Amino acid sequence: MPDITLTVNGVTRTGSPEARKTLADFLRDDLSLTGTHLGCEHGVCGACTVILDGRAVRSCLMLAVQAAGSDVTTIEGLGPDGELGELQQAMWDSHSFQCGFCTPGMVMQAAAFLGDHPEAGEPEIREALSGNICRCTGYQSIIDGVLLAVERIREGSARETA
Amino acid sequence: MKLPPVDYEAPGTLSEALDLLAEHQDEASVLAGGQSLIPLLALRLAQPTVLIDINGVEGLSGVSRTNGWVAIGATTREYVAEESQTIAESVPLLAAALPLIGHEAIRSRGTVGGSLAHADPAAELPAVARALDAEFVVQGPDGERVVPAADWFEGYLTTSRGPDELLTEVRFLAARPGTGTSFQEVARRHGDFAMVGLATSVTLNSGTITDARLAFAGVSDVPARATAAEELLEGQRPTAEVFAEAARAAAAGIDPPSDLHGSAEYRKKVAAALVRRGLREAVGNAMRGSD
Amino acid sequence: MTAIAAERYTGASIKRSEDPRILTGAGRYVDDIKLPGMLHAAFVRSPMAHARVLSVDASAARELPGVVAAYTGAELEAMTVPGPDALMALMGWQGPTPQFTLLATDKVRFAGDPVAVVIAESRYLAEDGCELVAVEYEDLPPVVTAAFALDPASPPVFANLGDNIARTHSRNEFGDVAATFEAADRVFETHIDVHRHQNVPMEGRGIVASYDRDSGSMTVYAATQSVHVSKIAVAMRLGMEQDKVRVLAGDIGGSFGLKIGASREELAVAAASRDLGRPVKWVEDRGENLTTSGQAREESFDVRAAVSNDGDLLGMDVKMVIDTGAYPGMGAMVPDIVQAMFPGPYKMAALGFESTGAITNKCCYVAYRGPWASETFVRERFLDLIAKDLGADPLELRLRNVAPLTDPPAVMVTGRPLVGVTTQESLQRIAQLVDFPAFRRRQAEALERGVYLGIGVATFIEAAPGPREPGGPSGPMGIETMRLRLEEDGIVVLFTGQMPHGQSHQTTLAQIAADEFGVPFEQVRVVVGDSDVVPFGLTGGSRSATMTGGVALHGARQLKARVIDVASHLMEASAQDLEITDGQVLVRGDPASGIPVGEVARRAASGEFGADVDASLEVIAQFDGGEGGWSGGSHCAIVEVDTETGIVKVERYVVAEDCGALINPAVVEGQIRGGVAQGIGAVLLERSAYDEDGNCQSATFMDYLLPTACDVPRIEIEHLETVPLDADVNFRGVGEGGMIVAPPTLVNAIEDALSPFGVRIYEQHLPPARILELIAEVDAKD
Repeated sequence: MPDITLTVNGVTRTGSPEARKTLADFLRDDLSLTGTHLGCEHGVCGACTVILDGRAVRSCLMLAVQAAGSDVTTIEGLGPDGELGELQQAMWDSHSFQCGFCTPGMVMQAAAFLGDHPEAGEPEIREALSGNICRCTGYQSIIDGVLLAVERIREGSARETA
Repeated sequence: MKLPPVDYEAPGTLSEALDLLAEHQDEASVLAGGQSLIPLLALRLAQPTVLIDINGVEGLSGVSRTNGWVAIGATTREYVAEESQTIAESVPLLAAALPLIGHEAIRSRGTVGGSLAHADPAAELPAVARALDAEFVVQGPDGERVVPAADWFEGYLTTSRGPDELLTEVRFLAARPGTGTSFQEVARRHGDFAMVGLATSVTLNSGTITDARLAFAGVSDVPARATAAEELLEGQRPTAEVFAEAARAAAAGIDPPSDLHGSAEYRKKVAAALVRRGLREAVGNAMRGSD
Repeated sequence: MTAIAAERYTGASIKRSEDPRILTGAGRYVDDIKLPGMLHAAFVRSPMAHARVLSVDASAARELPGVVAAYTGAELEAMTVPGPDALMALMGWQGPTPQFTLLATDKVRFAGDPVAVVIAESRYLAEDGCELVAVEYEDLPPVVTAAFALDPASPPVFANLGDNIARTHSRNEFGDVAATFEAADRVFETHIDVHRHQNVPMEGRGIVASYDRDSGSMTVYAATQSVHVSKIAVAMRLGMEQDKVRVLAGDIGGSFGLKIGASREELAVAAASRDLGRPVKWVEDRGENLTTSGQAREESFDVRAAVSNDGDLLGMDVKMVIDTGAYPGMGAMVPDIVQAMFPGPYKMAALGFESTGAITNKCCYVAYRGPWASETFVRERFLDLIAKDLGADPLELRLRNVAPLTDPPAVMVTGRPLVGVTTQESLQRIAQLVDFPAFRRRQAEALERGVYLGIGVATFIEAAPGPREPGGPSGPMGIETMRLRLEEDGIVVLFTGQMPHGQSHQTTLAQIAADEFGVPFEQVRVVVGDSDVVPFGLTGGSRSATMTGGVALHGARQLKARVIDVASHLMEASAQDLEITDGQVLVRGDPASGIPVGEVARRAASGEFGADVDASLEVIAQFDGGEGGWSGGSHCAIVEVDTETGIVKVERYVVAEDCGALINPAVVEGQIRGGVAQGIGAVLLERSAYDEDGNCQSATFMDYLLPTACDVPRIEIEHLETVPLDADVNFRGVGEGGMIVAPPTLVNAIEDALSPFGVRIYEQHLPPARILELIAEVDAKD
């Protein structure tokens, strides 16, 4: 297989994955970005969610070669310099997670959704996250984290425009 | 759950794609969104020799309206179709069904053509296409052919597309004034495949129903038009009694499967309920002119 | 009650120290482990439920480029030491003991039974290799139901047993059962089934086994609830000295009882690593997890209740059959706990309990969050049915029959004292939080519009850890040990055998130790997951809040005394005058006198003290649970049932719970909500399904359905904190309760919603189709 080049977390990366290798496995194995998790490998649980060319996608349902030329953000690259971004901080403050296995996909899906819907309310957030399975939390603490992020982002932009 | 070994081609033009299909025929699987195909490969339920990735083929995506038809390129992403003003205005039934397809991340990659070529009878888009008599534009070695929806869906996951052909476009007639639509679905959870789904379109003409179309998802090996119910509705006033009669006729006309999620008996009952609900909503939309 | 040094952290929802890594993708789960030269394993599995294995030919697999080795069941037998399942052995199982090989050799006993393992350069290649392993099977009639298993005509799944009895029938009686039933005004009788469902953590089982030929030692990276139990399992099976096996665990993606010891696949991988002298990784995929890792809860009950005309529950008589699947797990032991717990917090004076365990050609029964939970389901379901027949209000019937909080406490007829149990209080609190009369009015009004609302209540207790046994420890699994050490940088390190997989121990234990010892929260580090370094322990049974919280408290106190003792020499002050606050040892009332605890540790390590001063700042603390005690509570659900589609919506869910003192309220609430979500899943969505040939029909997430953010409502939680039972340690466990009591709460609500149809429910799994069937069945009868 020919080399592929793509941008991952702002850095140009290359690799030679065989055709059948999923983007999820490429990220985890070839690029050692193990933050993206495999929860089912058939596109239902959402643990493998990354942001590709501005959209949340299930990286277990893409071949690595299909991501050539794309711009990918994984959980490792969500916050500035590997630190916690606004959403992650709000989730920390809200005790959003327990075992952490669903977390990367959940956070990336929430981040993508908030990017397009910064004023979302609880029903929309629940629906947006209904394709990400969590077995530990019963979701309430995750929703609270997202709502807190919405509030803080709103206050932040209010401060900026004030 | 890793994919089996497979070759991979990524043609840049339609003619390259067709050449590859001519060469590989049944040994090839066409890869568009991948949201249905890749799980099949991961589960090793499908083991094609080669994947023909058409995401890079020029000219296969986009939404346009010409001469009363809305044309959707086969590789148009579902989320693009969902955001399309043209579809919202001109094919409201499609606009109603699109948000129910899986979850947002699925629609980021899934394509309109891919879903219709995969032809899962429990999926939303086949039912919409069948209800609206969509036209399927297929390119092959002998040029282009246009297949009406009634002929497109041949069996379970089987369409009229020959192994050396490619679905390039799907066309929907723009909704006429006075048309109201509804997409109803009963699924185990939000975003799941429908146990039973129903695409409904009715046109009201001076307070009576004309051109009623009801197409089920999940009750057969193909999306199924409830023709007996449609005939019954023609020329009727939209009353609860009429809806109930249509529901009975629709349920009587299907022989749904039994599976882990619901028995045949269950699906028939739900089908009837969806007909009542679908007609109420579609007629309501028609009256409001809100579609 | 001794005052805690600085009550800053305990009781507060301190942010988790686990989260920065969890939220940035820096967690380290077993599939994230990459070692030089590491290989990957995949298993060849039987497609049939019951068959003889005539031949296994792995030669084509071995020839595939990238495949390094392939081992059949017979080859693995030669490489390992046969023996009982480690967990069964640890728990002292005495009953029927099936004999079987590590991987299947002469026969396969459930669809998915591993027959061979292929080791390759990648998981992709290993799976390719598996497709090339040729296995010849000879079909045998499958035993797919407990009923058939208990029929002597069924073919024995295990030859050495001669039948399919996993647990020999036995009967116990507590109180005078016969007399109680004779004297009763009313005797009610029913049959209740609980369906098969399972743990499904988001991370499946997995292992990286790394054998080093030079040292003859095995390092295992595990996903486990106890590194020590895993170590014992590996050592036993491989015939290795225990000190040659080291088990490490990092982050674990949930378990709920699944990951204890080492499964057959994990042991096969360890054996392969030893044979190859290279690290081998195996992480199960979701299909394997759903079909082969373990399943639970498939139990059926014939129950009778002796009741007075006024609604006094006098006694119960229970016949339980448990379907333990094929290979042995804890299923055979579950009836003992069900029996012990069956009376719950009720005053009943007599209990008859008999049980049998059946072996079937299905996946093995494993512990799943509250393995004995059926006692609560059956009892709470039956009570609602009895209430209906008596024309009594279900809440009132319970209030009438639960033991009030008394001193001395009431005693369960099966023997355990209900010390500190606040069931009456939690039921009353539910009645305050939920306006039942207003609901009944709304329900009636909704019914007129063809909308079916229902309300249900259920109550439970769990032994978390349980009351003190006379002369013995509280709680199962004995005494809890912890090593605590003050480091020279001032960090207080806690070494615990707890193995958190979502429980937030690294935060909660640090809260307790920080408060007790007198340092900031950030100055405590909790070390887990290294069998060379942590004392024996296991996370399970909802015991850690008490047992580990308690040993952390007492250990920190002991360590503090040691530090103060050393400091008293340094500061020329009497130990009684010294305290530790904010990380400083100081003379009480003289803040300027303070020296950092780290300095004390440095000075102690420097050797400046003579032999007469014990300058080692490490203690090994043990805790037996103190006064122990129960956790429990009452739950209430309001549901809406769409009677045209069978879809159930949980509109409101309220919890009044009592787990004593809370270490971290956010952690407690997270545990409860997660458990309730699993209960919602069990009732509305989840079933481990088999067809009549023993094929598993729920092998992907398209068929085994987990609840999503659209299925679980906001759950309102009120905490009742019982009167303190112990001078210091009043935290009680809460991990399992939500999952134990949510199913009956929901089923009670659904039955209430369907009562206009006259529906009675005798089962736990109510998918939409079943709801419509239940309605139709009543119509058909009329």
